[in-house]
Amino acid sequence: MMNPHANKPSRRTMLKGIGVTMALPWLESIPFFASEGASSATAPKRFAVLFMGNGICPPHWWAKGTGADMELGKCLQPLAPFRSRLNVISGLFNKAATGVGIHPGQTGNILSGAALQKGAVLRGGVSVDQVLARQFGEETAQPSLVLGCEQPITGYHETNFSMAYSSHISWQDANSPVPMEVYPSLAFDSLFDNQGSRRTVSILDRVKDQAAALQHQVSSSDRAKLDEYLTSVREVEKRVERTRTVQKRAEEKARDRGQRTITMRRPDNGLPEDIREHMRLMCDIIALAFQTDKTRIATLLLCRDLSGLFYPFLDVRTAHHPTSHSDHSDAYERVTRYYVGQLAYLAERLAAMPEGDKTVLDNSCLMFLSNMWSGSRHDSSKLPVLLVGGLGGTLATGRVLEYTKREDKDRKMCGLYLSLMERMGVKAGRFGDAVAPLAGF
Amino acid sequence: MPRFEYNHGGAISSEPACQRTESEKLLKTDAMSRKSVIRVVLLMMVLCLTMLGTSRAFRAPLESVANGSRFRAETDSGSGNDSLESRFSSRVRPFLERYCFSCHGEKKQKAHLDLSRDSTVHAVANNTRQWERVLERLQADEMPPEEASRQPKPEERAAVVAWIRELRDREARRNAGDPGTVLARRLSNAELDYTIRDLTGVDIRPAREFPVDPANEAGFDNSGESLTMSSALLKKYLAAMRRVADHVVLKPQGFVFAPHPAVTDTDRDKYCVQRILDFYERHKVDLADYFLAAWKYRHRDKLGGPDADLNYFASEKMLSPAYLTLIWQTLTDAEAEAGPLAVLRKRWRELPTPPGASAEAARRDCEKIRDLVLRLRSQLKPEVGRLQVKGISEGSQPFVLWRNRQQASRHRVYAGNVAADARKLKEQLKGADADLAKLFVIEKNDENKRQMRRALERFCSVFPDAFVVSDRGPYFDPKAAGQGRPLTAGFHLMQGYFRDDQPLGGLILDDQQRRELDALWDELNFVTLAPMRQYKDFIFFERAEPPRFMHDAEFDFARSEDKDATSEAKIGRLAKAYLDRARKLGADREAVEAIEAYFTDISAAIRRVEQTRLAAEPSHLAALVKFAERAYRRPLSSAERDDLLAFYHRLRRQDELGHEEALRDTLVTVLLSPHFCYRIDLAEPGARTPRPLSDYALASRLSYFLWSSMPDDELLAHAAAGDLHQPNVLRAQSQRMLRDPRVRGLAAEFAGNWLDFRRFEEHNSVDRERFPAFTPELRQAMFEEPIRYFLDLVQRNRSVLNLLYGNDTYVNRPLARHYGMPQPKGANEWVHIEDARCYGRGGLLPMAVFLTKNAPGLRTSPVKRGYWVVRRVLGEEIPPPPPTVPELPKDEAKLGELTLPQLLARHRDNKACAACHRRFDSVGLVFESFGPVGERRAKDLAGHPVSTTAAFPDGKEREGLDGLRDYLREKRQPDFVDNLCRKLFSYALGRGMLLSDKQALDDMRAKLAADGYAFGSLVEAIVMSPQFRNKRGREDSPSNTSTGRE
Repeated sequence: MMNPHANKPSRRTMLKGIGVTMALPWLESIPFFASEGASSATAPKRFAVLFMGNGICPPHWWAKGTGADMELGKCLQPLAPFRSRLNVISGLFNKAATGVGIHPGQTGNILSGAALQKGAVLRGGVSVDQVLARQFGEETAQPSLVLGCEQPITGYHETNFSMAYSSHISWQDANSPVPMEVYPSLAFDSLFDNQGSRRTVSILDRVKDQAAALQHQVSSSDRAKLDEYLTSVREVEKRVERTRTVQKRAEEKARDRGQRTITMRRPDNGLPEDIREHMRLMCDIIALAFQTDKTRIATLLLCRDLSGLFYPFLDVRTAHHPTSHSDHSDAYERVTRYYVGQLAYLAERLAAMPEGDKTVLDNSCLMFLSNMWSGSRHDSSKLPVLLVGGLGGTLATGRVLEYTKREDKDRKMCGLYLSLMERMGVKAGRFGDAVAPLAGF
Repeated sequence: MPRFEYNHGGAISSEPACQRTESEKLLKTDAMSRKSVIRVVLLMMVLCLTMLGTSRAFRAPLESVANGSRFRAETDSGSGNDSLESRFSSRVRPFLERYCFSCHGEKKQKAHLDLSRDSTVHAVANNTRQWERVLERLQADEMPPEEASRQPKPEERAAVVAWIRELRDREARRNAGDPGTVLARRLSNAELDYTIRDLTGVDIRPAREFPVDPANEAGFDNSGESLTMSSALLKKYLAAMRRVADHVVLKPQGFVFAPHPAVTDTDRDKYCVQRILDFYERHKVDLADYFLAAWKYRHRDKLGGPDADLNYFASEKMLSPAYLTLIWQTLTDAEAEAGPLAVLRKRWRELPTPPGASAEAARRDCEKIRDLVLRLRSQLKPEVGRLQVKGISEGSQPFVLWRNRQQASRHRVYAGNVAADARKLKEQLKGADADLAKLFVIEKNDENKRQMRRALERFCSVFPDAFVVSDRGPYFDPKAAGQGRPLTAGFHLMQGYFRDDQPLGGLILDDQQRRELDALWDELNFVTLAPMRQYKDFIFFERAEPPRFMHDAEFDFARSEDKDATSEAKIGRLAKAYLDRARKLGADREAVEAIEAYFTDISAAIRRVEQTRLAAEPSHLAALVKFAERAYRRPLSSAERDDLLAFYHRLRRQDELGHEEALRDTLVTVLLSPHFCYRIDLAEPGARTPRPLSDYALASRLSYFLWSSMPDDELLAHAAAGDLHQPNVLRAQSQRMLRDPRVRGLAAEFAGNWLDFRRFEEHNSVDRERFPAFTPELRQAMFEEPIRYFLDLVQRNRSVLNLLYGNDTYVNRPLARHYGMPQPKGANEWVHIEDARCYGRGGLLPMAVFLTKNAPGLRTSPVKRGYWVVRRVLGEEIPPPPPTVPELPKDEAKLGELTLPQLLARHRDNKACAACHRRFDSVGLVFESFGPVGERRAKDLAGHPVSTTAAFPDGKEREGLDGLRDYLREKRQPDFVDNLCRKLFSYALGRGMLLSDKQALDDMRAKLAADGYAFGSLVEAIVMSPQFRNKRGREDSPSNTSTGRE
């Protein structure tokens, strides 16, 4: 069985050759999808998590007032342009991340609320981003993007928790984290080469060939049975192919007509020397992925807990983790503000992408959070949370929400996750330790 | 009672779907089952002619047995055909024209039936299924209907009935042994799970999330008609097979499947570490075992025969012969005694002697010696210092590893102060051991001191302070060992393993075991890339964590994120920079050497992994081909092999996947291939029909029949040798397979579906508050009981009549408690209860699983229980209840004055209801002494005493389970045997029974009776039957379809 594609050059080589991807914004590819029988004119909702390890700078992390008049502490200044689209939430926490010792035990469950297991064998819970990814995964090229700007580590912390918990906030199930992509070039390939669906098509292709060849060797009654199988394979393949080809065709047509397309140069192999470059590229990839509806869920670990990143450009000579031990310092204020700046950068990119009479940012929710409030005290009894974007009009913004004084049962992170899931159309009666959405949100 | 299972969804009858479909629904969901229960429960008030009719149809086949032989004589004479032809035109056709065509003819087709079309005998013969229904309705006097103006005379009717039967029997004989159409089909969910288990060696259960497979007419989910494929299911297959492929662990040679996914670093760590820990556990040393073996050797005259040597006693307990020899020498050689050695020998000599002392008593004393040795030994641990350089963390990898190495090399070394240690040991000897203290007194002469030193040295050497260190504490807190961080090197934050098992290797293991252990450690590095990860963590730690040795700009080139961070050149460059700075900070020679060793070792380890990885790729491809062959259950053609490898290479070259990704994807195509997930018997072009199955197809048919899984190597070897079809080989193989544990597949899938308990593990209709005893453990035990029972029957080739009359059963703790039997010792132990009758159990009938499954929660259901016996066990056909059946109260306690039996008796006063219910109510009533969860009881939930006396269908009154058994023995045993035969045959072939199977079934029954009803004879009859060993040819000729197949 010779495959007709056998001697074609590799697709990724082609991609590298061009070095640029072209993609159509979601809205503009709608007509092309519609012509293929897919019709949904409601803009998709997107959700992204941006994580910073080791806490923020508490004295400069505050907000007052509402909407455009909101006053922001120094660390939050980068978000000034987005005040009316911002929610500053304080006082939420994960019960399971308290009282278990510092660092990994405060981190690996930040998106799941699950209790973590000490020792060599990992055990936690599925994270909110992956629950959402399962819901929308079939409609996009990739169910989710799980990215990181710092390599994961897996040794042991003195609390006897695995350091894997410090490196992974996205979990596919109770036993395994989602492998995290730290190379921008590979994240780019997986997305714009539709790697996931391409691999599926390759598999289905081969299976289909086998079934077709078998058809000639069997009796007529067996042929009917095999036909059932072959048809099923074809149908699944067609569905996968449709997303791929329609998008491609749409892009080709757009180019022929000189229509506006989105382009991005493929990042170089290897890791960017400069962490600023690294973070910017990851945000660009998420922005583009959201705009072109390649995925709707993204989780970006800007740095891990117990991070070893350096910030010479902020005039900070120590690494992230040691610096966080002086979390009231000017140095750590600068570090925190820099991280909030990444959120602002992503928000800015999305705000500049029109989608009907709105923007992609309006249809998204970007969540920024850290595993601690204070790095010097390793305090995870309340977490800093920022939300930007209105999630398709389902989320009121321009608010400062203070939960610190509420009872523990009314200030659960998992309650917030349930609220967000609800707004994204995912029905779940419970998640983590919460059985109800967050009251007053 | 030969009866062919045709009457499914009748085209003629206008009655609701037959009972069988109703009970199939019971299989599906609990919600549905509850609904059906209510429907089955009571048939009251409704006059139902169809029922009366079918009750006669039920008797009719009995007559046909007697008639069969008469017809045979007639047709065998050769005149049968003519006579059939002539009678068709002289009697049958005129009958139809006169009484039937007005409703079922060219003009009108009531119930979509046109009897005028089959205008020749040949046409009728090709449509036996339809004519079987005509026969039923005629026999039942149901057609023509009462209101029809023209009614046939009894003799007219009898003539047509006789004619149809005759034709049917002729057709049955003519095609006897026809393999029938066995469709290509996908593996059922259960078969897929078992097959993946046997293919991968781990129980992944890919079908876990698939929808439940529908059952075929015979009640089994293993035939092509019912096993369909859809795009929704295919998507689940794709996802499931990917999950299976995620379990692959690539090894230096080939690949295996881990019990859990092995994609992430942490998964791989878990897999490899566990394998090493398992090895350590298998080779764990208990000194008491060795002392006891030495003691036995000393008394070998009395205990093992005078010729038994040390090896004999070592192998007896799986001990190391070398170490036992060493222990023996230590205990007995002529060296002067001092210190701990003297202690040891003294106690050894004091051990009791046989026959006065038992081995158990000696064992207890040996344990005391062991504890004493360990206590003394623990006082003699060598002190190991730490390397210290200002500016370098004590926790830096080179220093931690240096210290680990020091410790690892001193497990058998004595390097202490003799006088001080002798004092220390002396202090340990108090209480019962006070008599030993004097052995540590050192006199003031050098010889005495030297002796003590030698004793300490030898003691430490023979008894290492640890054979294995498998869970060390972190470097800053060595005492915090054993906290679930196995094999760790003890770094802080950083990933890293350290192997510390020299005493085990040196004293205990033989060469082969040492190689095995070496391979496991190589595997750990190979699979988890541990050295690379460890080195990258080193860079992170030294740069970022205090005291941040690599803080300065000269180290900026070393970044753990860089892909070439672990290249030889980069490691060399960092080694130089690191050493330069260490020297500047005043590192001494030992520290410098430790650092040098670190960089050399880690670089070498990384290179080794890189090289092994590259070198391993061809072995993975070879393993892939082998895997595909096992998955396809036959050899690959060379074209198939080339195609498989070409696909892998294409993924690598064209799609630029890495080796592992490409391998996994290729593996997914194998598992998703129709060659794997379908069972297809390939036909050769122009093959005659019927023709024998190929030996490979026969191997699969055999293994899916007896194991619900793929053939094993032995079976495939016979297929390869081409001798499987030989009767003696086939017989021997099936006998072997029946003894194999995998035959549990037959017990669960055949018995489970036949007796309708396959999905009992999900049974949820018991009110847990009213029946707190019904725990998940008890439910599991209930499910397990018939499986164990059936398994025992199969494996020991017992009589199938035990299912009805057996005195015995199997129980575990929860079930024994439930049954009021003595509980087995082990928590997970199942025991065979020879005489279960005194507890009211024995055989299938009183098993809790059936009593519970056929009770609607808060009361019993004699109707359901009785129905289960006659329908499932005896195979009786019973039509469905009419659509409007009033409900009984759901709770037995709320029935009011009447008891359930009394209520049931009322509806049997109604003739219409009685027609069916008299056939099973009584059978169910004898179970009234068992409550809703099968517990024994004297009173029902309303407090009324229970009665188990009932009038049986034969008019006789009997009492209780024994009464039921008597009834079965007297009246129904042939029904049971017949039902079991056709069910098993149906299951084996993966199709419903055909007219042409009559001969085989007759033979099967005869053989079974002749062999004392041994289960094995059923299996032998089936695997030897032409139906089982042959298949129809490529094209289904018209004459083959004439047997009235479905």
